[in-house]
This record gives sequence, structure tokens and C-alpha cells, in this order.
Amino acid sequence: MSVPLLEVRNLAKRFPSRQGREPMPWVIRDLSFSVSEGEFLTLIGPSGSGKSTLLNMIAQIDAATGGDILFAGDTIVASGAKVLRPGLDRRVGYVTQDDLLLPWRTTIDNVLFPLEVQGRLDDKGRAHAETLIKAVGLSGYERYYPHELSGGMRKRTSLIRTLVYDPPVILMDEPFAAVDAQTRTQLQEDLLRLWEMGRKTIIFVTHDIAEAIALGDRTLVLTKQPTRIASEHHIPFRRPRNVKDIFALEGFAQVYERIRAEIQ
Amino acid sequence: MKRYRRLTDRILVCIVLLAFWQLGSWIFGTYWLSTPWLTISRFFTSIWSGEMVRQAGYTVEEAALGAVIGAVPAIILPFALRRMPTVIAILDPFMIGGYGLPKLALAPLFILWFGIGIESKIAVVVSIVFFIEYYATLSGVRALDTKLVQMAQLVGANERQVARHVVFPGAVPNIFAGLRIALPIGIAVAVVTELISSNRGLGYLVQMGAMNFDITEVFAAILGATVLVLAVGYAVDGTERILLRWRAPVESLQQQISTT
Repeated sequence: MSVPLLEVRNLAKRFPSRQGREPMPWVIRDLSFSVSEGEFLTLIGPSGSGKSTLLNMIAQIDAATGGDILFAGDTIVASGAKVLRPGLDRRVGYVTQDDLLLPWRTTIDNVLFPLEVQGRLDDKGRAHAETLIKAVGLSGYERYYPHELSGGMRKRTSLIRTLVYDPPVILMDEPFAAVDAQTRTQLQEDLLRLWEMGRKTIIFVTHDIAEAIALGDRTLVLTKQPTRIASEHHIPFRRPRNVKDIFALEGFAQVYERIRAEIQ
Repeated sequence: MKRYRRLTDRILVCIVLLAFWQLGSWIFGTYWLSTPWLTISRFFTSIWSGEMVRQAGYTVEEAALGAVIGAVPAIILPFALRRMPTVIAILDPFMIGGYGLPKLALAPLFILWFGIGIESKIAVVVSIVFFIEYYATLSGVRALDTKLVQMAQLVGANERQVARHVVFPGAVPNIFAGLRIALPIGIAVAVVTELISSNRGLGYLVQMGAMNFDITEVFAAILGATVLVLAVGYAVDGTERILLRWRAPVESLQQQISTT
């Protein structure tokens, strides 16, 4: 077996306790998993299972208390590292729950923001951004400010802002949790279509079992605190998939039931 | 249609105010309370003769120089100290003291130090604009959305780019909120400082009028100062509207509130 693209080893997190108080409980402990190149991995767990904390540590906007993060076999963040390296030098993109668009930038300028700060804003980058905007149906809204867009449009903008600079690994933290069911299905289809275009490595966190099955190649179920991997499920469905019809597929009910039983 | 309605309503309010004014001058006599007509005609005569424009020009010059000298460091300082919360904390009691200090009490001092010319007025305007603008900008820098900063760092922005693309634009609404208060007050304190001691400016006109028992002159000069303050207010609002197009319009917010 080849070396995984991203590997998390014995990751642990405990928030610092206030002076004189008992130490805080472990949020995450001895959590290990890996994801190979081009894989769509979904993580599912009960609410409050430290899913966001886990992604924040991988993205290095929050410090791990212990454990290592390896990229293509090299240790990027060693146990107890003091200095954060947000985005692991642009190797990890992160689509957060909130769209985090810059309100003073239009759609196109928000999408181009990563290229701009990376000094890669050229004709090729602009063309790529235009392609992505078209792919998610935002053509005609390039000059709109975020407050003029619907929730779904903002999500799409936030998604392609991460895709535009092509990070090898993309983390997604319940990106479609805050939208209505219909928009969510549409966004899931958009995501799968974009993913088929480039087959990026994705780690997608959700609390929706159907979403985890519809999108992922493999699903990891997380335990309650302290969070660990409870079980691993391979999703057998062929791609390209149709999110709307996923429920009707043979074997969907079994996978769904197996995961649901694990989450209890 | 709504705009049109607002304009007609304003004219209505204006007429009512003028009517009360007129009534007052009938009751107390024009010796104590000049009439609207006398005031407005004096105001325009003074503009045609160039006297009003020249005096207002002095006041504007004082206020403008004071506003620039006061506001620029007041805007820069919170950004410069953004990463040094201890320094901000150390400065805080002094800043609050400076903010709360009655600036007009400083005017006699500044006149002693800088003379009765333009410098003493600029000094008073600086002392008032600086503190208002410092606290306005500081609140903008503090209200910074740290998640936006994290996002920017994640996609590869360095410290300087974060400051330029996230921190500064985020504070612009607060910078404008400060200017909107500080600049009209700047005009007002320039006029008041001229009242205390000067040989030119709108405050000087007021003072001259009062000394000659020429109430109409006093009223015309006050009207001039009011027009200036209004003009400055509109200029700030207009600039704000252009620069802050990215914000959800306030009117739609009001509509949301009234419909819920």
C-alpha cells in the first residue's frame, strides 16, 4: 500500500484549564486515521464530539495537545508544536461552517482572494475562477457583494474560493448544515460534480448519515468525548453518483443502519 | 416617491420652525430676536459681499487642518498597537482622561501659547478630533472577526496582507462613524474658540455682532456655521455611501424590523 497523503497520528486535545481548577477533560484522545490521494473521506459523529476541533487542528488554526500530522509521509506538525502554521503552508484548504466571505469584496474578488495573497493572480487564475463560478451557477453574480447573495450562493462562493488555489487536501466542516434541504441536495450535487472534475482529497465532516454515504468513498464514525474512531465503513456505491437517487440504491439501507447503530 | 415625500416633509418642518422663530421675534422684538427674513437676507448679502465666505473660509481652514492633524494619527495608532494589547491598556487611562477633558477649558491655554491666530484654533480642534477618532477606530480594530483573519491566514495571507485586506476594511465603518461625529464638532469648537479670542472667522463675526448689538449679524453668522456643519455632515455621509457600498443598506434593516 502506498503512503497516505495525509495522516493523523495519536492526535489529542485538551483545552487549558483555568488556574487552580481541575484539568479539563480530553476532547480528543488517541485519534488516528489517514486519507489517501483522491479519496473522499467522510467523518460522522454525534454533536459535541469534537469534529470541528479535529478539523481546526488539522488545519492548524488550533494547537493539538499531542500527536503528529504527516503529509505524504513527512511530519509537518510534530507532537507539542508551539507555533501554529495555518493551512500547513497552503497544503490544506478549509471550508468552514460559516462561509467567512469578506463582506467588502464581490463574489469574484472573494474567489480570487487566495490567488491574490499568494501572488498568483494571473490570466490563468482568473480563467480558472471563471470556470468554477460557471460550474456552480454563479455566472452573472460576479459583481455582487455577499449581503446581496442567498445563503446557498454564499456557500458556493466559499467552496470555490478554496478550490481555486488547488490545495492538495480540503477539509469541510458541515458546510451545508445551515441551508434548507432542497438547497443542500443541490449543493451536494455541485460538490460532487466539482470533485469529479479534479478528484481532490477531501475530509468532510457531517452529522447527517445520508450525506456521509452519498458523498464519501469511506466513512469514519467518531465516538463521544474523548473522541476516537469507532468504526470504518466503505461505501460501495459507484461514481458518478446522483445524490437524489442515493436512497433508492441497493444496499443503502444496510449501510445506513450499520452507521446509525454505531453512532448510538 | 419616498425620497420626494421625505423632501416635502422636511420643507414642512422647516416652515414650522421658521414660524416659531417669527412668532418669537414678534413677541420679544427684533432688537433681541432677529426675524428669519432679516437673518436670511443678511446672510446672503454677506455672501455676495464676500465677507461671510472669507470668514467661513478661515473657520473651515482651522477645522480642516485640525481634523487632518488629529484624525490621521488617531486612525493609525490603533492599527499600530493592534498586536500590543498591553500598550493599549497602559495608554487607556490617559486616553480616557484626554477624551473626557473639557477641551474648551484648554482654549485659553492654547491662545496663550499659540496666540490668537489660526494655530490656537487648530490645537483645540486637534485635541477634540484625536480622542473621538482614536476610540472610534479602536472599537473597529477590536470588533475584528478573528475567524476572517484565520481564513485569510489559511489561504496564505501574511501579517501585512491580513492587516490590509481584513483588519483595515473591517474598521472602515467605525472610522467613518468617528468622523461623522468628530468633523462637525471640529467646526463647532473652531467657532467657539474664535469667540473666545480672535480677529477672524465665523466666531469673530458672532462676537462682533454681539458687541455692536447687531443681533441680525449674530444670527447670520450662526446660520453660516450651521450650514457649514450640515455640509460637512453630508460630505462624510456621501463619502461613506460610496466607500461602504458593500454593506447591507440601513434602510432595508429598518424595513426588516418594521415587518417583524
